[in-house]
Amino acid sequence: MATPIVKFTNVTKRFSLQSHKTFKEFLPALIKGEETSKQFIALNNISFEILTGETVGIIGPNGSGKSTILKLIAGVMSPTSGTVSVHGRVSPLIELGAGFHFELSGRENVYLNGAILGLSQKEIDQNFKSIVDFADLWEYIDQPVKRYSSGMYMRLAFAIAVHVHPQILLVDEILAVGDPEFQQKCFKRMNEFKKEGVTIVFVSHDLSLVRKFCDRVIELNHSRMINPQ
Amino acid sequence: MLQLLKEVNQIIKWHELLWQMVGREVKARYKQSILGYFWVILNPLAQMLVMSFAFSIILRIPTNATSNIPYSIFLFVALLPWNLFATSLSSACNSLVMSSTLITKVYFPRTILVLASMISKLVDFVFALSILIIYMIAYRIPVTLNILWIFPIFMIQQIFTTGLSLFFAAANLIYRDIQYLVSLALLLWMYATPVIYPADLVPARYKLIFQLNPMAVIINAYRQTILGGDSPNFVSLAIALALSLVTLFIGLSYFKSREKVFADNI
Repeated sequence: MATPIVKFTNVTKRFSLQSHKTFKEFLPALIKGEETSKQFIALNNISFEILTGETVGIIGPNGSGKSTILKLIAGVMSPTSGTVSVHGRVSPLIELGAGFHFELSGRENVYLNGAILGLSQKEIDQNFKSIVDFADLWEYIDQPVKRYSSGMYMRLAFAIAVHVHPQILLVDEILAVGDPEFQQKCFKRMNEFKKEGVTIVFVSHDLSLVRKFCDRVIELNHSRMINPQ
Repeated sequence: MLQLLKEVNQIIKWHELLWQMVGREVKARYKQSILGYFWVILNPLAQMLVMSFAFSIILRIPTNATSNIPYSIFLFVALLPWNLFATSLSSACNSLVMSSTLITKVYFPRTILVLASMISKLVDFVFALSILIIYMIAYRIPVTLNILWIFPIFMIQQIFTTGLSLFFAAANLIYRDIQYLVSLALLLWMYATPVIYPADLVPARYKLIFQLNPMAVIINAYRQTILGGDSPNFVSLAIALALSLVTLFIGLSYFKSREKVFADNI
């Protein structure tokens, strides 16, 4: 149980914010000798470990680098310096439904989004009933997703994501949406994950929620950790 | 080379996602239009009719001297693969930008996005090809076994297209101007390629430029093998293959070198 599943060693993430997205802006800037990119430090020399089965909350004000940590764990970004090592299947709940296509039906989107999250066709076939049950969308499953209300959309997206059987679940503020009933359902599911020994990384502004739900809290401020271990 | 094998390996591992992505593009594109896939056929057909009128009735461009092939077929044999090239490249160029929400959220091999947009254009191409086949049967165009050369020629075309697509898709994420540059380049490139005119009309002093343009060699080779019944010019084709492979290696290594910062740049 005590093996680190996620390990950050002296991780620094700098963005070079490109201030010029087009040639029209870029060329004059180059000629005038202006700087063509601005540096922005999102994470400054951060080290921590998350052990298998832990539920860790990450809190901090806007722009303190919380989401960057999740993106580094998800493998979407790579650190500027330092190392990030992750062992296990990651399921990101970061802004749900990113891979949905509005013209396609709910059913088609389940398969599409499942594949994006790394599920095989067979795994989706097996889980399809349970996904739609969880989302409670049998009536609308063959409707195009563009006709869905935002609540329905979230429900479907969350239902797919929790069926990935992740070893690491990344949760980013998503529970602020959806009706209270569905939120209850999500927390119930997340508690089940906890019992099953899934590692959960939970990002939120809501300190009381994080304290209640997580074993441990990492506090960020100005790209640094406030409570180094 | 190692990089290429690694990438192919990754894509095989993620092949289900690739097919889902292709399905998404193909299904979504025609879901809302009434004529659906008919557009894929109508579009090149209309293009062919208008161009045939302009270039054979008004301008009277000769087709290959020996045979009396109607200009419309002469044009269509070149226009279809050219359209495949042009539409693949321009849609691949936008593929990463279009999926930017995915790129910032979920990990999967990014080359899948480029390949999926290319493959969905291939589906359109196959539909459009059916008119050409019907047309050739209706006009009783004789073909020889040399027509089988179209398969290796097609492979070379796809290698070349993939290389360019990877390069420009990655570049377009950094500067959105690239997509406009590519569409302008494609417009000019078509005239530098024997699509509307036969390759033998090209003056001898410009021949070298044509040999260094893989698309010119490829398009000409289609015509030679399908309509002329000849075997292709192997020296030119070998040069085109070599250039296409170089393009693929450059495109892929540029793509891979930028891949790490894709999510940062969106």
